[in-house]
Amino acid sequence: MRILIVDDFSTMRRIVKNLLADLGFTNTAEAEDGGAAIAMLRQGGFDFVVTDWNMPGVNGIELLRMIRADEKLKTLPVLMVTAEAKREQIIEAAQAGVNGYIIKPFTAATLQEKLNKIFERLGSAV
Amino acid sequence: MSVAPSSEAIAGHLRAALVAIGAADEATLKAELASIVQWQEQPLMAGLAKLSQQLGEALRELPVADAATAELPDACARLDHVVAMTEQATHRTLDLVEESQRLMEKLQAPDADREALLKSLRGNLSDMALAQSYQDLTGQIIRKVAGIVRGVHDQLGALGLPPGGLPQRRPEDPLAASGPSLAGIDRPAASQRDADDLLSDLGF
Repeated sequence: MRILIVDDFSTMRRIVKNLLADLGFTNTAEAEDGGAAIAMLRQGGFDFVVTDWNMPGVNGIELLRMIRADEKLKTLPVLMVTAEAKREQIIEAAQAGVNGYIIKPFTAATLQEKLNKIFERLGSAV
Repeated sequence: MSVAPSSEAIAGHLRAALVAIGAADEATLKAELASIVQWQEQPLMAGLAKLSQQLGEALRELPVADAATAELPDACARLDHVVAMTEQATHRTLDLVEESQRLMEKLQAPDADREALLKSLRGNLSDMALAQSYQDLTGQIIRKVAGIVRGVHDQLGALGLPPGGLPQRRPEDPLAASGPSLAGIDRPAASQRDADDLLSDLGF
């Protein structure tokens, strides 16, 4: 399981990376915005994306739409981890095909719960 | 031709104009009418002169706003510095956390030098506490920037800008990313539970 962590803040990428490592996901890579992320994803080899929403350049919702519109990437699970917490935004992310939505600040337990839920639904428990 | 002709002078121009009409003296008629028109324009000219003077006075007052707005680029640089400082402090803390995790794993080894490892762990905890001192420094910078922003707001208010007090806020695009919402300023944000319920209602 190779996971791409997308966030413009290096500190948040590192925190997510450490939390994922604690949950047993040690194979991770990082991208600092949606543009860098989609380029890495198109090279292949990723099984999961954890992305922020608010980033300069290509933001998280645009990245999600690009993934869903890409023939090779469209089934890739995407977990949004973001401070954006307006009803309209959550609905928008859902309609764009997000697999999970975590509001910052979040806890390790929330991350684990959402990951488990996504994997359960995908039929491969953690 | 006087600059501010009296009504007597105007009557003279009118009489001369009538005489010119009678004599079919077009040149004189035009000259007399021009004098009357010029007299009529006097209030307008005086009004424009007054307006120009007031504008000049207002412009001389503008450097007051300049003094406040001149600090804005400075304020931006200070905030950029805050971002850099908080980032640095967080990485320092994460370095210490990760190193401590490695030390704890070593502690579990049967032949571990417990005393040395515990000493390192105590040192790391102390360094982590020290790394939090960024809050004092960044707090001071942010307070200073808040002061600059308040100053600019006050100066604009003193100039009567924006007219009619605070302008209407731009209509918010609910989908535009806007970062964390602040209680009392932004619309109330959804909690994780709200988000879970909403997604569950949508069939997630």
